[in-house]
Amino acid sequence: MNTSSSLDASPRDRVTGTPFTRGLGILVLVGMVLLIVLGLFVSPADVNQGESVRIMYAHVPGAWLAYLAFIVTAVSSAAYLWNRTRSLTWDRIAGASAEVGVLFMGISLITGSLWGRITWGTYWTWDARLTTTAFLFVTYIGYLAVRGLGGTHQQRARRSAVLALLAVLEIPLVHFSVELWNTLHQEASVAGRGTNVDMDGLMLFTLFLGVVVFTLMYVWLVLHRQRSLALDDMLDDSGLDNALTARRAEAERMTH
Amino acid sequence: MNQDFNDDNIGTSADSLDLSPRAVTPRQQRKRRPWPAIIVLVLVVAAGGIVLTKFLTSAIDYYCNVNEIGAKSGCEAGHRLRVQGVVDKGSVENDGVTTKFDMSFGGVTIPVTYDGEPGGIFKECIPVVVHGILTDGVFMGDRVEVKHSNDYKADNPDRMKNEGSTSEGTACSQ
Repeated sequence: MNTSSSLDASPRDRVTGTPFTRGLGILVLVGMVLLIVLGLFVSPADVNQGESVRIMYAHVPGAWLAYLAFIVTAVSSAAYLWNRTRSLTWDRIAGASAEVGVLFMGISLITGSLWGRITWGTYWTWDARLTTTAFLFVTYIGYLAVRGLGGTHQQRARRSAVLALLAVLEIPLVHFSVELWNTLHQEASVAGRGTNVDMDGLMLFTLFLGVVVFTLMYVWLVLHRQRSLALDDMLDDSGLDNALTARRAEAERMTH
Repeated sequence: MNQDFNDDNIGTSADSLDLSPRAVTPRQQRKRRPWPAIIVLVLVVAAGGIVLTKFLTSAIDYYCNVNEIGAKSGCEAGHRLRVQGVVDKGSVENDGVTTKFDMSFGGVTIPVTYDGEPGGIFKECIPVVVHGILTDGVFMGDRVEVKHSNDYKADNPDRMKNEGSTSEGTACSQ
């Protein structure tokens, strides 16, 4: 990112879309329509939970994608910290992924709360799964706040990378909380250790589709957000460049 | 003004003043004030503390099973407990004000009294967690949570007619 590229960027460089992201976006939209049709209309109601089981198709993919997003944040942060791959692009991917992860975790918490009201009879309770999830959510809001603390881009990248590598350690605790302790939350239906998948075929397919669509949506969001963060950083840099240019002009005026 | 600059010999020649764009220096501050981030961070630390307290006081071993009352440490009768068991078939009685039912787990059964109508998908033969106190052999509940299992089956009207029992109901009859 030199002076000329940040100051004289063509309008093409100032957008976050590419033919790839446009194609991906269309794919996400089509997949989302399919997911809504399958999730809300085609897939069956559950024998115990009735229609409320449909919340699962947003709740479970939301939680899994939040895990994935936070793992990507950790891997990108490690790539930034490692000297041979150090690049602010890794830092921006980490930041973008964490933002999207917090969004998906929020979706999972809200849908889970509504689902809990319908099946358990309560919006919230402090069992191990819900408590560790709340802690994970709060941790990554803290991570995003640390990114906003100021300083140079490199300072921001270093601070947040260390935090990301610590925070990702919470994920196994959240995932296995339902096996480690007595919880109101049910155990993992599909990704549990030694769990025999005991789910209606069409329900399982819809859930799988939900994970695929949410994954594509995650990639689309992170690509755009990562590029908009790069433009943000460019703006900061050009702010400095502009100040220097102004100072230079001032100095020249004084000598003449 | 010009005199001052000339005195200091600043700006008289291009070499005397380094105006080339600097690489990253600590002076490259982001324009945004960090106050919102600091406030969020304070709130996050406070919320994290509350969540951690809840984890230590509530989340570890959320409930005791019916057969663990008086047998497992932390499950002593006489103070507030959360007890998990399966609602006995045919035991649910509701007089409009109070709901009474029996709850079993591991071969032990206790009667439960709850002021009100349990929410969620409460029914017989489903596992529930009841919050309350065991007094004179009766568990006085003030909160009922339904703990459904993780098997999902299509709600098929034919099967309901033929078998007359749900997947949870099968577990109940065992």
